[in-house]
Amino acid sequence: MLYQLAVPTPIEDVEELRVLEWHVAPGHAFAPGDLVVELETHKAVVEVRAARAGIVRSILAPVGDWQRLGRPLAVVSDTVDEPLPDAADTLAVMHVDFEVT
Amino acid sequence: MSAAAPAPRVFFREAIGRALAEAMGSDPTLVLFGQDIGRFGGAYREFTGLFERFGAQRVRDTPVAEAAMIGIGVGAAAAGLRALVSITYMDFLMLGLDPLVNYAAKACYKTGGQVRVPLVVKATAGARGQGVAHSQCIEAWLMSVPGLTVVAPATVADAYGLLKSALRHDGPVVFVDHKRLYPTAGELPTDAAEVPFGQARVCRRGDAVTLVAHAYMVRVALAAADELAREGIACDVVDLRSLAPLDVATLAASVARTGALVTVEEGQATCGVGAEVAARVREARGGEPFRVARVAALPAPVSSNPILEAACLPDAARVTTAVRTLLS
Amino acid sequence: MTAAAELLRTMQRIRAFEEALAQRADRGFQLFSLGQEAVAVGVCAALGPDDQLLTSGRSIAAALARGVDPVAVMAELLGKQTGTNRGRGGRGHLAQPSRGFFGAHAVVAGNLTIAAGVALALSMRGRGIAACMFGDGACGAGALHETMNVAAVWRLPLLLVCDNNGYSISTPQAAALAPQPLAALAEPFRMPARSVDGMDVEAVRDAAVALVAHVRGGGGPAFLECRSARYATHSTSTRETRPDSERAADRARDPIRAQQQRCEARGEADAARCAAWDAEARAAAAAALRAADAAPYPLAASVLEDVR
Repeated sequence: MLYQLAVPTPIEDVEELRVLEWHVAPGHAFAPGDLVVELETHKAVVEVRAARAGIVRSILAPVGDWQRLGRPLAVVSDTVDEPLPDAADTLAVMHVDFEVT
Repeated sequence: MSAAAPAPRVFFREAIGRALAEAMGSDPTLVLFGQDIGRFGGAYREFTGLFERFGAQRVRDTPVAEAAMIGIGVGAAAAGLRALVSITYMDFLMLGLDPLVNYAAKACYKTGGQVRVPLVVKATAGARGQGVAHSQCIEAWLMSVPGLTVVAPATVADAYGLLKSALRHDGPVVFVDHKRLYPTAGELPTDAAEVPFGQARVCRRGDAVTLVAHAYMVRVALAAADELAREGIACDVVDLRSLAPLDVATLAASVARTGALVTVEEGQATCGVGAEVAARVREARGGEPFRVARVAALPAPVSSNPILEAACLPDAARVTTAVRTLLS
Repeated sequence: MTAAAELLRTMQRIRAFEEALAQRADRGFQLFSLGQEAVAVGVCAALGPDDQLLTSGRSIAAALARGVDPVAVMAELLGKQTGTNRGRGGRGHLAQPSRGFFGAHAVVAGNLTIAAGVALALSMRGRGIAACMFGDGACGAGALHETMNVAAVWRLPLLLVCDNNGYSISTPQAAALAPQPLAALAEPFRMPARSVDGMDVEAVRDAAVALVAHVRGGGGPAFLECRSARYATHSTSTRETRPDSERAADRARDPIRAQQQRCEARGEADAARCAAWDAEARAAAAAALRAADAAPYPLAASVLEDVR
């Protein structure tokens, strides 16, 4: 199944944020609890961790890109061969854990 | 001519930090004073990296003593340095008003031009759940002080441009950075343009009513204008940017087209920015009639209670109601 | 001329200047230093050309002791265009930074934080110290605490000089200030402090020289209390509240007479020489008044100039 990895919500006092660092490259797998991406708010860093296993298929927001809360950052899937869709924002949102530090 | 690089998108704090870093780099006499602006990088991280780059002599953490912070900034500026003093909450500016108002604003005049005070006081204003003594917008008090310049950006570009101008000015400037603007981001022009004092910005064109605001309330006014547009009411939205001096010409020209003026501010209506704007536009318009309404905080302290805070402060709904009432 | 005689002559010039102005019906609102001349003169004897002096609104003695042209001072006090401040500052704000007199500021305690900033600027430019004179009335204000604290933490080159005449207008010190002596205020900030007889110009100078050496040497701020007495009322528009007996006792401590006797006893000047100097001082004051009288007032149309 295909999912979108989206900017988690809610993050208090944040409208939009910037991608700081990807920790999983396209084509690579992640396990539950893995740090997938770090996002930068106006005063904090948001660590986004996978709540389930999967594979990063396509990064929609590379480092330095801006995205608003709830908007997609990447397409992920359960298996490596599922064909990618035209648009990510209709995909189910993958569950993540996140911490604002 | 080569194509300009696209304007980078940055956080509000980064626009301030870039203006500070550029000014520190080009003017070795510039010294920064503030609480927790050193390694900590400032309450809003707007000073991030400056301590490491420019050192403890020029990026000075101060005790919690606003009168001394501003007084020392004033004295240092009067004696040949250039100073920026960061006041974390504009409410605490009251503790340092004596050196700002009685000394800095009058030094050039009282010494017959012998002493200039190139000082910027950055005062972070506005309500965000922190209560009656951490929420106030008192910039209107300062507009009546001869010798003081007062500016209040609403955007990333203006935060950069107004701060750059302030850091080159040869008199005291109060730079109001609203804390609700810190979560915002925007394009920072690559030509790195300074924004001159006394020039308002028309940020939306319309012919039904002129909305005038500054700082965070510009966003509220624009949100109200969006809603009113859906009802067929086209708003001219003017961002003051500079409160002292005021750009009366731009305001009067807008009101000449719309015939209606609604001022929006987070401070109090009594003797407020809107009162001054309305009076100055009235003087500029002579006998030409126009309608006026002011939207401001209710006459109560701003509570940390979110229900009471929201009830006290202007929002888009109050602005749209004021416009509809005025035009009906 | 000896240093002791120079101190005497400077005090004579100040006394003559203020007395000449005091006799004028059109003198306006003034705060005189009559009786307190030794404080400004003793402190200025310890300062150098790169230093800056700030004062309270009781400023005439300090300006003259620092070497500001008496003609320009008189013109300023009488509101003339040729004054140090183009006639815009008056007694409360006399200033001439180019002569090392950063100036007066008429808000009690309002000059303290400014002086710390001046000291910081001087230290960052690598030369000079700031000295700040203030009355005992300022010792109850929070600005002194804030200034001493920051100056001590940052080791600013700042000499704090409390010209302690014992009264805040009519309020005696015991009714307004708990610390005793006022120099003890410096203790918690671990800055060197001295409390001296402010009617003895050499005692003031010697203490100032010692403390200035500490400050100039990078040791941080220092505090000098000078116990003085003012002969006149707080200002030209203030009622006298002190008993005659107290005023007579103060007059008996006249710093000028004491210094003259010292000079005579040491054989540095005889009475005739001192009298001649006094006559010179009075002639100079009269000349300053004449020059000020001949100078124009600022034009009303200039009211908006230099506001910025």
